[in-house]
Amino acid sequence: MKKLWMIACAGLMATLAGCNQQAGDNSASAGGAASNTTAASAPTQKGAIGVSLLTMENPFFKDIGNAMQDEAAKSGYSVIVTAGEKDPARQRDQVNDFIVKKVSAIVLSPCDSKAIGTAIQAANKAGIPVFTADIASMDKTAKVVAHVATDNYEGGKLAGKAMIEALGGKGKIAIIDHPEVESGIMRTKGFKETIAGAKGIQVVAQLPGGGARDLSFKVAQDILEKNPDLNGIFAINDPSALGTVAALEKAGRLSKVKVIGFDGQLEAKQAIKEGKIFADSIQFPDKIGRTVVQSIVKYMGGEKVPSQVLIPTSLYHKADAEKDPALKSKTS
Amino acid sequence: MRPAISRFSAQFFSAYGMLGVLLLLCVYFTFATYRDEPATGAAGASALAASLERAPGTTAHVVIVSQNDDEENEFVTALQQELQTRGFPPPEVAQGDPPTVREKLESLARAGTPVDVVATSPACRTWPLFDAVKSTIPALAHIEVRAPEGGRRSAFLSRSNLNNIADQIAVIAVMAIGMTLVMVTGGIDLSVGSLVALSAVVTAWLIGAWGGMNASPGAMLLASLAGILLAGAVGGFSALMITVFRIPPFIATLAMMQVGSGLAFIVTKGESLYDIPVSFTWLGRGTGLGALPNSVLLMIVLYVLAHLLMTRTVTGRYIYAVGGNAQAARFGGVNVNYPLAFVYVVSGLMAGLGGVITASQLKAGAPTYGLGYELYVIAAAVVGGTSLSGGEGRIFGTLIGAFIIAVIRNGMNLMNVESYTQKVVLGLVILGAVLLDMLRRRRRT
Repeated sequence: MKKLWMIACAGLMATLAGCNQQAGDNSASAGGAASNTTAASAPTQKGAIGVSLLTMENPFFKDIGNAMQDEAAKSGYSVIVTAGEKDPARQRDQVNDFIVKKVSAIVLSPCDSKAIGTAIQAANKAGIPVFTADIASMDKTAKVVAHVATDNYEGGKLAGKAMIEALGGKGKIAIIDHPEVESGIMRTKGFKETIAGAKGIQVVAQLPGGGARDLSFKVAQDILEKNPDLNGIFAINDPSALGTVAALEKAGRLSKVKVIGFDGQLEAKQAIKEGKIFADSIQFPDKIGRTVVQSIVKYMGGEKVPSQVLIPTSLYHKADAEKDPALKSKTS
Repeated sequence: MRPAISRFSAQFFSAYGMLGVLLLLCVYFTFATYRDEPATGAAGASALAASLERAPGTTAHVVIVSQNDDEENEFVTALQQELQTRGFPPPEVAQGDPPTVREKLESLARAGTPVDVVATSPACRTWPLFDAVKSTIPALAHIEVRAPEGGRRSAFLSRSNLNNIADQIAVIAVMAIGMTLVMVTGGIDLSVGSLVALSAVVTAWLIGAWGGMNASPGAMLLASLAGILLAGAVGGFSALMITVFRIPPFIATLAMMQVGSGLAFIVTKGESLYDIPVSFTWLGRGTGLGALPNSVLLMIVLYVLAHLLMTRTVTGRYIYAVGGNAQAARFGGVNVNYPLAFVYVVSGLMAGLGGVITASQLKAGAPTYGLGYELYVIAAAVVGGTSLSGGEGRIFGTLIGAFIIAVIRNGMNLMNVESYTQKVVLGLVILGAVLLDMLRRRRRT
């Protein structure tokens, strides 16, 4: 029995020691810098940036994390990327661990815009500056230095422009929206304002698709059933757009109904290349990540940084998809 | 003689083996997170003052740089005094965030104030603004940046981190009490994660309805009780299905998991509720006896009560009897339904309390709370030695199990192990614990 325990413990320690290998490099360089502090003028290692994103399941956030790591390496910061995986309590724990670790700055994509407040306040109290990426904190009492996100309102306007272009300024359209989140509301708002300028286009349905593929598939089916003369659908993100495409394929109406999406995920770009989606208003998660790190470096360098930076989207058509190197390698 | 010793050691390791693992883990993480960390506050100030006296001479003009919290204020005041007694000219002070400090340094340069040394607190040492200032302002090109040096400390074994671990695990540990009881009867409760969300949003919603930001302590207490009791009632409903209609616990509580989560979303319409006064965070963020967080104190009290329940009362003995052999218990005159119903209600109540603690920690109630917690709670009980087939389990074993999970998670976070690897390690730990449990059982029979 004793032997068994010893084997179990040894196994556990070995696993953990294995994990430590990769962390070892970081701490070694940090230690090196710290021992040089005797009147050192330029420490190479400036400290760590702790990051807690919404979820790693979405490639969007993964891109943000990767871009932050690249950008931070340029200016001597290391980046620790974690994700709350949509659990506000877990995200709070991650922030508390960052505080114990004494990181130089914290970047958050809150799992809950209100419940994140107490975690940010704890960081404020410990003197660690907090930045948000993509999703803002709505707690007024918690201090965030800067927020970097996609300009969803302008992006919605671009999507509206693409729709007018797709239909030649005339026809009946539907919107599959997601009013539970602010980004969804802003996209729909921008889209509708632009569409209102085209007198020939009429919005016949606006239903929520939960931002999810399966739900949007069903909603799109219902919309198609009710509107046999439909010409276009705007879906507020790529999962919704791809669900809509599936519904159109099933109904055999893909050639008659133009789909406009939002995001620029690889699968949607592929669908644009194949002509299934007319165009996407694409976001740039890598720019978001890079801009956050640039703000941190500026702020730590004593410069004032704007409290909000909006990253514009751009339209992505079939012509763009045919030139896209990321897609060429997929199809060949 | 030998058999007696081996029997004793077998008993010892089965009872305290996991405690040994926990201690080993703590020792391991203590050394693994050992790092250079200069003293902060007044101690850091006196160390820095001493080194300044040795180096550039007592005529140096010093600017003290720090942030604005209590510890940093202590550093500034102490350093000012130390420098004064050592005969330095009265130092300037630049306190605040990096832009504020830079502005102050620039204005000192503009005013022609001589600056030789910038003495920073350890937290500000790595700010790149000093390099930027040196290269852009000629008057400051020669400044020397100094911070307290030396000192090594384990990040894991710091007081703040130990509190942090206990605080992080309090919710899971409280819920694991209920789960241990359920598992001792041979059942399982999958609804606990959803009940955390349900109780949190109902509590937050009632506080909002009963005064919002101005809610009285009585109203908050009532709202919390309502949240806890509602979760207990859902547990009671599961118990009804299990005892009267003989639905397997896995199915009954799986159904209630869906119902609970759905209700939480209905109550909130999918949004989080945050119309809550700051005083509500007393439970989740306040500290009491011995500077322990209140939620941790509550957890300790509940564990002692649960231990007494399971070892000193008839109910406790019935619970073990039902899990060991329900048939035999029935023939022995035990009404099997009573202990069964009891454990599911307790599990619901504990999950409800977990929800109130979570709402208090986060000062908001959201239907996304508790996502996947049932797995952590079951893991805590299993790692702590509770058998999935019932009849066995110790309350304090579960507490140790919960701490093992918390320590591994926290330790790996402190060592920068990324979250994918963390999942693998946690999964292996659970598997290892169950494997040991099975081997132990096989040896005995």
